[in-house]
Amino acid sequence: MRPPRKGPPPVARAFRPAVPGGSTVYVVHPGALSVEVYEGLAGALPDGTGLTVLDLGAVPEYAEAALTGGRAATTVEDLAALLLAALERSRQENGAATDGSWTLAGWSFGGVLALAATRLMPAERRPGRLVVLDSIAPVEEYKQPDDALRPELLLSWFAMYLGAKRGRPVPLDLDRLAGCGTDDGLTAVLDAATASGALLPDTPLPGLRKLYDTYVDGLLRNNRLTAPHHPGTAPLPVTLVQPERSLVPADPTLGWRPLAPHGLTAHRCPGDHYTMLTRADSLGVIAPLLRAS
Amino acid sequence: MAVVTAREAQDWLIEKIAHRMGVATGEVSPEVYFDELDLDSTEALILAGEMENWLGFELSTTTLWYHPTVKDLAAYIAEECGRRAATA
Repeated sequence: MRPPRKGPPPVARAFRPAVPGGSTVYVVHPGALSVEVYEGLAGALPDGTGLTVLDLGAVPEYAEAALTGGRAATTVEDLAALLLAALERSRQENGAATDGSWTLAGWSFGGVLALAATRLMPAERRPGRLVVLDSIAPVEEYKQPDDALRPELLLSWFAMYLGAKRGRPVPLDLDRLAGCGTDDGLTAVLDAATASGALLPDTPLPGLRKLYDTYVDGLLRNNRLTAPHHPGTAPLPVTLVQPERSLVPADPTLGWRPLAPHGLTAHRCPGDHYTMLTRADSLGVIAPLLRAS
Repeated sequence: MAVVTAREAQDWLIEKIAHRMGVATGEVSPEVYFDELDLDSTEALILAGEMENWLGFELSTTTLWYHPTVKDLAAYIAEECGRRAATA
């Protein structure tokens, strides 16, 4: 046994510095995709705008829960406080302005934490705007027990995720998933993924099962963190960006309306829940919306 | 549950890693750190699932943290197989 070569990664990871006096966008990233996916967004932001990602993958009590059954020994409130501390350190180190000339955003579950973080900030240190990227609001209508996540829904999300991870879409025949159990459904995903070149032809089913279980445990972890959380309303206007293939495409507000008494603006972008962070046409929609007001 | 030696585990790991990377087995050193390999997290998890299926038991999440090279992990696997066989 030998010690690991690297220490844990930092929570706040700067992708691009702001020019002196310029604004910075902070994005809360809840894992699933590598944090490097934000390189595209850094390049798409207006000149002089900085980008720093607050990476929950660097928080062991959160990240490791996806590998140990999906139960994190923490809370939304504690995670928000941890992210806020990392954000404040980053802002001090970079000499950032303390007024509202900056933006806080959150992708997916990161939107829930971004909202919670704004509520911990004194009014004078809040961002100019809060932007949530295909994030499902932590409201009662979306709080469901674990078994409400049916296999065909999870498998369709998993295929979307796998396609984004491998850089090749995994087109899935949703009819084949209807009424399917997880084992049969994973065989369908494996067939589609090998046919599209997303996975090697001889990828074993137990290997894909491990990846799927970890993916689902990450979702369950977020569900379980959200269940006891009672969010307050956002103390500033909220902007929602939803991709064409959102996690919940039928709901154009993803439940955010009651949490946004200062206003909710909804926008659509190309792509799916995952590729919205990397597609140039999607970033062309998102980047201007992140500009500080 | 399979009972494997450190050499068998090392050969298995090198063969699977080389295949996933598309290189000859001789190009994967037992001393290499996993995070130096050109394997993304998807491939690493698929490999872990395949290995657990082969061994017949799960590896804890801290295993790669404490055994970060092929050689170290192979030694740990052999030790763990022996321990489990002794208590079976």
